[in-house]
Amino acid sequence: MSNPVLTAITSPAEEFLSNHAVEISAVTKTFGDVAAVDNLSLVVPEGSVYGFIGPNGSGKTTTMRMISGIFYPDSGDIRVLGQPVTGARRDDVSYLPEERGLMRKMQVQALLEFHGELRGGRKVTKEVSEWLARLGLGHAATKKVEALSKGMSQKVQFIATVVPQPKLLILDEPFSGLDPVSADQIRDAVLDMRRTGTTVILSTHDMSVAETMCDYIFMIFRGRKVLDGTLDAIQEQYGNDTIRVSLEDGVIPDLPGVEKIRDLGQVQELRIARGCDPQELLRALVAQARVSSFSVTRPSLHDIFIRIAGPAAEEVKVA
Amino acid sequence: MSIRNKTFIISLIMAPVLFGGGFLGLALMNARPDIADRHVAILDRTSLVAPFVIAAAEETNKKDVFNKKTGKQENPRYFFETVPVDPQSPDAQRLALSDRVRRRELFAFLEIGADALHPGEEVDGDDPASKTRAAARRVGFYSNSSAMSDVRYRLGDAVDTGVRRARLLQLGVDQSKLHDLLGSVKVEPMSLVARDDATGKIAAAVKKNEAADFGVPFTVMALLGMIVMTGASPMLSSVAEDKGNRVFELLLGSATPFELMMGKVIAAIGRSLTSSLFYVAGATFVLYGLAIAGLVPLTLYPWFYAYLLADLLFLCSLAAALGASCGSPQDAQQLAIVLLTPVLIPYFLFMPVMTQPNSGLSTALSLFPPFTPMLMLLRQALPQGIPAWQPWVGLAGTLACTVFLTWSAARIFRVAILMQGKTPKAADLVRWAIRG
Repeated sequence: MSNPVLTAITSPAEEFLSNHAVEISAVTKTFGDVAAVDNLSLVVPEGSVYGFIGPNGSGKTTTMRMISGIFYPDSGDIRVLGQPVTGARRDDVSYLPEERGLMRKMQVQALLEFHGELRGGRKVTKEVSEWLARLGLGHAATKKVEALSKGMSQKVQFIATVVPQPKLLILDEPFSGLDPVSADQIRDAVLDMRRTGTTVILSTHDMSVAETMCDYIFMIFRGRKVLDGTLDAIQEQYGNDTIRVSLEDGVIPDLPGVEKIRDLGQVQELRIARGCDPQELLRALVAQARVSSFSVTRPSLHDIFIRIAGPAAEEVKVA
Repeated sequence: MSIRNKTFIISLIMAPVLFGGGFLGLALMNARPDIADRHVAILDRTSLVAPFVIAAAEETNKKDVFNKKTGKQENPRYFFETVPVDPQSPDAQRLALSDRVRRRELFAFLEIGADALHPGEEVDGDDPASKTRAAARRVGFYSNSSAMSDVRYRLGDAVDTGVRRARLLQLGVDQSKLHDLLGSVKVEPMSLVARDDATGKIAAAVKKNEAADFGVPFTVMALLGMIVMTGASPMLSSVAEDKGNRVFELLLGSATPFELMMGKVIAAIGRSLTSSLFYVAGATFVLYGLAIAGLVPLTLYPWFYAYLLADLLFLCSLAAALGASCGSPQDAQQLAIVLLTPVLIPYFLFMPVMTQPNSGLSTALSLFPPFTPMLMLLRQALPQGIPAWQPWVGLAGTLACTVFLTWSAARIFRVAILMQGKTPKAADLVRWAIRG
């Protein structure tokens, strides 16, 4: 089997040749000497939630901005909802940037109505009021943006993005700065929009969000695609090479066949080498310690991310 | 929204005060002149000239000190004290008089050199003999006040008149003829004569108002410059601040960079045009009040607004591009001088253009697009007029330059608004303008 670290998995989405919300074909974007995006090809099916993951500076935001039409690729093509991306603004595409960029001296309601009218050319007072109430910001409608907390600003910015009811919603780290309650509100809103047919592309550093929300996951590392597919397909590539163990005394002894141990506190996660028999490992553990729990599983997305983009990946590549 | 606040109202009032402050200061000074009496000692080494100088100064006292209509004193009176000459100790005598000036017993003292009456040819040279001869010819005004003091000029006229009278009398000229011989010839500016088309009569020439002939064209130019500066300058820091607050990142989801930039530019132009209405209306009111409205032809008004619009678009677009390339409003402030160069340079050039409006240099400068709005308007406001084709060519050049700059600025703006970190260099801006 080839090295799974840098193998791009064929996206099952490519099997469906129609109904693509986004088609990126051999796109490259450089800034000076740096290739932020390098020969990227990607397809996002309509009506899906597509997760973008990758380390900081890997090219996620640049890719999102090219899909939105804010940046132009140096080469390659991008089509969004069947149309090539030009400089013109599209009413059916909304982009939520990572940084908060609200006009600080404006009141929340007025600001959201301004953004809504700017996009749709119509009054959006009712929609804005509904969204404010839904996300628990009804009391903040007349407050100035500068008086809001970070999380509240993020929710206001989210509302500005979704009020026009876009067909394609691009969210750059939408859960950044949100407490669990607010994060749930945003998550529910995103999934509701998906149910009504909106395609969602979201980037996140929270792997549990990617695992639970996203139909497809795309990982970019140093401008290149390294993962693309469903979570199942991605994990299947690595096989059942992960064992989660709890011991009564909590200390894992030295064991043959174990490549890496990750201590999660109450549980230790062991990555085993290819060919290592989990049963033999269990016997070796039982012989040396009292085992509370032992399960053989596939690696988590977090683990896969670290394998690809962590410092150890450097050692692998160099070797 | 930007005009419905106190800041706009205050800036509307303060802008002309700040820009016209110098003239305001002059007017205030003229309203309250220093009219304290001036006591001047005369040290006359010719032994002849002093009485004539004193007589000439007293004539000035009678003519110029009091306003003939109101009787109010407008200038100081001069009183003289003739000091006997000490030929043995000239330096000691000068020191003693200097000390009296320092003690404020005198305002100044006048020393008339022994050869002042018949100085002969001018002598140049650093040798002692040349210096001695120069000192003997000199009429010196010794005081604490600066060399720019108007007292020296006023007394200088009296000394000049006094010395000439002394010379003529020495030649035996009849004293009754002195006034006629020494009277200066004043050349008065007059308008051209024209025939009235309605009556067929030849209309009399009128005397021109020198102050108005200078003041009106300069004010027209300065008004345009002031409106443009107050309109474009805030754009620089406003765009830089919006960039720092990441406002553009969210707005880019709703509008293209060009639309964002032009939105801000159009808002700035609207604000400036609103303030221009106040200033133009106010200036027209003043012109009618001073009965010199005829000095500003009606045809100048549309040209004023054409140049104003072009210049505002030019500078506001430039401000947007420069503001977008800055990392913070503080960085933007440092670029203000770059932004305002097309407005400041015409201020430095206005005098030579006014004195020779149809020279090759004046024409060329006024056809250079960044300077055209102010300098061409200045030339058009002057009484002698300019060839009819020049304003049209100037306007066409300005518009073409403005369109090009706006297009370039939009390309720079699109790239720069999302760039964070170090401020780009000029070469980067040029590259972005070319490549986008």
